[in-house]
Parts: sequence; C-alpha cells; structure tokens
Amino acid sequence: MAETIHHIPLWYLPLLVILPIAALWAGVTGLRKTARKKTAADRDPDWSVPPLADQSQSGSFLHKWDVRCKIVTIVVFSFVVASLGHLAAALAAVALSLSVAVMIKVPAARLMLRLLALAGFLGMLLVVMPFTVPVHPGDTLVVFGGVEWLTLNFRGLLLASTIAARAVAIAMLMEPLLSTAPLPVTLHGLCRLGVPEMAAQMVLLSNRYVHVFSHEARRMSAGMQVRGFRKRTDTATLRTVANFLGMLFVRSFERTERVFDAMRARGYQDRFPEPVNLRLCASDLLICLAWLAAAAALVVWDRIIL
Amino acid sequence: MHETHEIRESRPAAGPLLFEACGLSYQYPDGTTALSGVSAEIRPGERVALAGQNGSGKTTLIKLLSGLLAPAGGQVRYRDNPLAGENLDRARLEIGVLFQDPDDQLFMHTIIEDAAFGPRQQGLPQQEAQLAAGRALDRMGLLHLAYKAPHNLSFGQKKRAALAGLLAMDPEVLLLDEPTANLDPGQEQVFLDLLKDFSGTLICISHDLIFLYELCQRAIVLDHGMVQHDYTMRELVSQRQTLREHGLDFSFRMVVAPESPDAGTEDTSCRPRPVSANDPGRGLVQLQNYCYRYPDGTTALQGIDLLIRKGEHISVVGENGAGKSTLLSCLTGLCQGRGEYLYDGKTVTGRARKRMWRKIGMVFQDCADQLFCASVREEVSFGLRQLGCSRPETAARVKEALSLVRLEGFEDRVPLHLSGGERRRLALACILVMEPELLILDEPTAGLDPQGEQLLLDILQKLHTTLLLVSHDIFFIQQLTRRTLVMHQGRIMEDLPMQAFMEDQRLGDLNGLSCMYRLRCTRDIQALQHEHEHTHEHQHLHAHPHRHGDMVHEHLHEHTHTHAHRFVHTHPGRDQSHDHAPRRYHEHDHAGHDAQPHEHMHKQTDETA
Repeated sequence: MAETIHHIPLWYLPLLVILPIAALWAGVTGLRKTARKKTAADRDPDWSVPPLADQSQSGSFLHKWDVRCKIVTIVVFSFVVASLGHLAAALAAVALSLSVAVMIKVPAARLMLRLLALAGFLGMLLVVMPFTVPVHPGDTLVVFGGVEWLTLNFRGLLLASTIAARAVAIAMLMEPLLSTAPLPVTLHGLCRLGVPEMAAQMVLLSNRYVHVFSHEARRMSAGMQVRGFRKRTDTATLRTVANFLGMLFVRSFERTERVFDAMRARGYQDRFPEPVNLRLCASDLLICLAWLAAAAALVVWDRIIL
Repeated sequence: MHETHEIRESRPAAGPLLFEACGLSYQYPDGTTALSGVSAEIRPGERVALAGQNGSGKTTLIKLLSGLLAPAGGQVRYRDNPLAGENLDRARLEIGVLFQDPDDQLFMHTIIEDAAFGPRQQGLPQQEAQLAAGRALDRMGLLHLAYKAPHNLSFGQKKRAALAGLLAMDPEVLLLDEPTANLDPGQEQVFLDLLKDFSGTLICISHDLIFLYELCQRAIVLDHGMVQHDYTMRELVSQRQTLREHGLDFSFRMVVAPESPDAGTEDTSCRPRPVSANDPGRGLVQLQNYCYRYPDGTTALQGIDLLIRKGEHISVVGENGAGKSTLLSCLTGLCQGRGEYLYDGKTVTGRARKRMWRKIGMVFQDCADQLFCASVREEVSFGLRQLGCSRPETAARVKEALSLVRLEGFEDRVPLHLSGGERRRLALACILVMEPELLILDEPTAGLDPQGEQLLLDILQKLHTTLLLVSHDIFFIQQLTRRTLVMHQGRIMEDLPMQAFMEDQRLGDLNGLSCMYRLRCTRDIQALQHEHEHTHEHQHLHAHPHRHGDMVHEHLHEHTHTHAHRFVHTHPGRDQSHDHAPRRYHEHDHAGHDAQPHEHMHKQTDETA
C-alpha cells in the first residue's frame, strides 16, 4: 500500500513545529516554577512526627502494603508497560498510574515536578521522531512547501506519543513506589528480595551525602565566582574546572573516610540496623495479585485485541 | 637551668586506669610523624583537655584512643586490656567520639534514626533505642526536629544532633574534637552546660582555652606529636611561658576583658559614628528595604537597611541562621534579592552584580571552599588573571600579598598540604591581592590555634580597607571593628557603636551572644597569670655542682633558699597583702647559684664523691 502524502505551504512549519516547541518550553518553565512554589511549604512541617505519618494519605493501601510486594509488583508492572506497543494501551496504563496516584493523594505539584523532569527528553522525541522515522508503506506524510527531506510522518508521531505515554505511566508509578515508605524501608525491602546489602547501604549513604557534596560544590563554585571566574571557551576555563573537580573529588574522598570512621566509632560492623520488621500477610499478596492481573489484562489487550 | 618541683593540684591519682597509652607512635601514609612516644594515663571521671597547635597530633591521639587507628608503635590499653578484638568492640559502644564536622557523623536519614543508631548497635530493641534517641534529642533541645533530615539543619543544630547521637548511647567516655568550633555563644553555652553535667570521663580537644578552662581539670599539651606537659588546667593557663612555647598563648585576648561594665571606656570621639541607611551622605554600600528569599520560599533577609561608608570597620553578629552569610552573598553579588542595593552611589543590578567581585572580596568561613589550585602561586594569581593583569604585575602583586600574610617562600607549596592557619592566611592573600574596596571576612578565626589567631589579628589590624567582619568572636570584633550590626531572624535588629554593643546585656540574652562565662574565666586566668618580682624562701629539687666545706660534688638534692625572681601566682584580691606559697611551682634561673655554698642533708646512697 502506498503512503498518503499531503502538501502544505512551508510557512505552516513554524506554526506546526516551532510554535508548539516554544509553547511547550514556556509551559514547562511556567509549570516548573508553579510546582516549585507549591512544593515549598508555607510553614515548617511538624518534624516531631514521621513525615509519612503526618500526611492525610498515609492511610492508603500503598502505605500499608508490604514493601517487598510493592517493589515486585510495581517493577513487574513497569516492565509490562514498557512492552506495550499501542498508544491506546499505553494511555490506559497512564490512566491506571494516575488513578493510583490519585488514590494515594500524591500532591499534584510533586507529580508534576517528576513529569517535568522528563519533559525535555519527551519533547525532543515528539519533535524529532516524526521527521526521522523511515517511511513504510501506508504511512501518512506531510511535506512542507515541496521540500522532500522535510517530511512529517504521522506514524513517527504516533510512535513518539506511545513512548511518551509509556514513560509517563512508569514515571507516575515512581511516586507510589518511593514516597509511600521511607527510603531506608524501601532499601531494606530490596535487601530482603536479594539485593546485596552493601549496594543498599551505598544507595542510602549516597542519598544522604549527595546533598552535602552538592552544597560543597556550590560553596566552591561561589568561592571561584568571588574571584572573578566565569566559564568561557578557553583552556584556562578547562584547567580551572579540572582543578575544581579534582578538589571536589579529594574532599569527597576524605569525607567518606571520616564518615566511615564515625560509623565505626559508634559500633558499625558492616550492617545497618533494620528499620522495620517486615511481615507478609494475605492482604499484601491479594493486592499484588490484583495489580498483576491488571498488568496481564493490559498485555492481552495490547497484543491480542488491538 | 634547674629542675624544679611541679606542685600539682589534686587529681585522681588512685583507682583503676581507664586508658593507658604507652609509647604511642603513628605515622601518616606519606611518612609524616603524627605522634611519637606518647604516654598518658587517664582514670575514670577525669576531664582532660588536649591542647596543642594545629598539627600537633591531638586528633590522631583521639583516633588511637578510640581504636579508629592502630598505633605504629606502643599500645593503648582500655580497662587494663589492649584496645583490640573484643575489647575494642566493647570500647566502641562505651566511648563516644564527636568529630569536628557534624556532617561526618550524621549519616542516617533523620536525626532520630541517627541518634538511635548507636543504641541499636549496643543491642537495644528498636523501641528502646528510639526512646533513648528521643531522650537524647530532648536533652539537646532537638526533639521537635526529630524526623528532619540532617542536611536541612543549621550548623549548630547538626552539631547538637551529633552530640545527641553519642549521648543516646549513654557513653562512659566522651572524646570531643573541637566541640564548639563555629558555634554561636548561645549554642556554645548549651554544649558547655551539657558537658559539665556529663558524669563520665571526658577528653576534649579545643583551641579555645577559655572553654577548656571552664570544662576540664587536667591538660595534656602536645607539640610535634609528643606530650610536652601534663598539668592541671589551672597550672596550664597560669604558665604563660609554657603557653607561648607551644603556640597556645591566648593572653593577647585578655587585654580587653573589662573588670566591670564601666572599665576600659573607649574614646568614641575619634571613631566613625554609627550610621544608618537614613543618614545623609553617600556610602560605599547602601541597602534599602532589601529582602531575600531562598528558592524554596524561605525568607532569609527582610527589610535590611544598611549604609557602609568608605574606611569603616563593621562587624555583623547574630546566632547561627540569623542571615549573616546570606547578607554577605547578596553584597558580593552571589545572590540577588529584592530592594535597593547601591554601590558607590550606583544601583547594582544585572551586569553590575556580576562584576561586584572586582570591588568586593570575601574570605569564606571554610577557606577550603576557596582553594582549588595546584600551588600557592597559582592560587594567589588566579584572581589577578581574571582581572587581566600582566605577568610582571601579577608576579609582583603575588609576592607582595604573600609577604603581607607572612607566607613568603610558600609559592610552590600545595594549598591542600598547608596547615589550617596557613590556609586561612592564603585565602586572605588570594583576596587581598585583588585589592578589594570592601573586604568581607566570614568567621576568620574558625579552627585557628591561638598563635594563628594572633598572627591573623596582626595582619588584619594593618589593613586600611573597608572591612565587614562576621564573627562570633567578641574579642576579634572588639579589636577590629568600631560598629556592630546585630542580626536576628533575617533582620538587622541593632546598629550600635562597639562600646554600646559590649555593654548591652539585653542583646546577649536576646541573641545568644552572652559571653559572661568567658569574662569570668578571663578574669580568673588573668589572676592566675599575674606575676611580679618577689623575694621569698622556696625549695628546689635540682642537680648542680656545689660545695660542702672542702667537698665539691653534684647530685640531685632538695634545699631551701631565698632569692628574688618573677613568678606566677594568685592574689586574694587587689591591693590586699598576701603570702606567696614557697612550694608553688615556678620555673626560673638562678644566676651564679651553682657556686654558692649551702648545706643540705645527704643520704648515704645519694652521695657522689
């Protein structure tokens, strides 16, 4: 079957491509600002109670769900979503993820921030893929002003949209996975599932010290700025940046030694204390089975029905 | 030189030993000797100060005593057993080590988890460990922040959280490395009160001898990795000569300690009068209704009105988190807030803000944040290269700046390998070389030993540039500035001349700037260090050639004699008559004493023909 070709004037190109990109960029920037403002607390929360216990959504099934079941289910579901081939199935996965997020009352701003982190990558995909996918028989093409190499392929747009929908569905599931239990508990669950304890400890410590190192890097960068350093495209800049990275590495290395000393001084012997006692009950397994059944239904719909 | 008696004040001399260090030595991997032949005995309940210059081996000794390092030579014994194997495992659960940087110590995700870490390692069940952690946090006034992540705490809160982590373990021994460095006086007082109440054994490193004087009874002085003296704390602070020999003489800090609020009245007529933003006249820096919010929306500065005139020396004080550092960042153009900012009469916005580094130089609190080059020469010339100076001019100005901070000959050294004091002076040179119109110093004395402080003070006193000093160190503020801004919760609460600030006790209570215990200790130490010439009878134990009739011989012996000399002693009160205890320890020379005939008792075994 031959492809369908529509010819439209060249001046449609900015209207159809550049303007959406600009609008997307402006929208993302605006949303990012709004989301940041909304996530900044008006007043300091009550830190005398665990943050998860303080929130209204802590009564949701995901908060009470055994962390091992939660990890296994969401990881399996994510793989299933990643394997979907049709846009309709991917959108159904988005709807499912969104309903879970709504069910556990994830703040919209936080969800938005997570999705906005993907916006750049997905936006690029949506712009580039329609122009770059190989043309197959039956494709619908739009040629701008008779320029043959500037052809928009609707199949590419569909493909990019499917990928974007799958990415959004999986990204939205990260909120239920990561924000319904403290990180040490999630990592403890991973260890119980067979992840080496050392790896979990490294993730835990990295998560704690990434803030310290980034703060150190910011202070060093400020120290360079007050002496007039500005990034330019010359070898002096390269040398300075190399010095900066080297010094940051040395300081980070020295800190890791001091942290390890501090841990040993308080009796650390290769193991962190368990943050919770995990107990599996029937309801955990039931939720797990229900969710996996939904995943199986999605696959069947995608592969057989659609 | 005569050997003299060391008449010591009472110290627990009997009872079992807690720590016994025998001939400890340690070398760093690069071959530098950190400790050599260190021996010391510490008994339960003792409060020992480890004093010494930067690099004298204090922290290494603490690490050896806590088993974090294994000695290259000698042995550490804890409760009569070598500190190894099971005894080391036990010791780690009984000994609390407080590190200098609290971020090293707070490695868990919330401070309550961190405080519970030690008790969990001690084998307590989760509930009990949580309770112990809660109690410890409550003692440190941090229970309301129990579930906050450490990286979201202020420095003072982190420091208190780190101590809470140790107290939760109910330790028998506390080893503290610079516990109050960079803390505001209010937080320092919290630490002091808590540590005074601690009933176990305490070994504390600090450059702040006034703090140590208040806290400890015994002082071990380390120099070049060796124990030089083992005194009572009172003896240490009274020996100016000893303090001077080991770079610990902090007497320069005591010249301004007034006996009473009306003592030491300053002549305000010759000093710049305090000004406010509403004063007429053009200043170097002018802020009007200036505000700053962090990206997350937290207010850091609000309604700041400030005028700094050319040549003024101004200090900024306030508790940790009052907004001092943010104010400095705004002045240097690192942050941009809302409100009017004029520099030399011109509004600072956009491009001008990015060029403020040409006019304003800032030395950071942690000088390591400013040093990133491979050599001292490269480091100092970095700013000049950004200014576009020629090579000959750069070389000349680098030489001049290094000479100003007394680092001549250090050009090819690696900044990372310099001592704390040298790095601080290098950071200062890096800024001074750019000849800023306004010099900003953020906590310049943090982590410096007394000798380093004195050297820095000498250098800063000779500078003629406009100065803005942020510090908790009241002495430095007094010495270097004439006007004080008191900040609290992001606002400038007061703008006072120095004398008015020093006399305003209300500010001390309001802003945690009280330094009353320091004044009291300073007066005590001044009394202990009092010295003048006396003639009195006293005893010596020494060996020298002497005559008994026709017999000339030399041996260690004790005898009493009278001669004039200077010595340190206490007075019961000013202008009151007093006696001088003949057996008081006082080291001095006896000119021609060896030739003087004298009588003394001889034991048969002592005699040497």
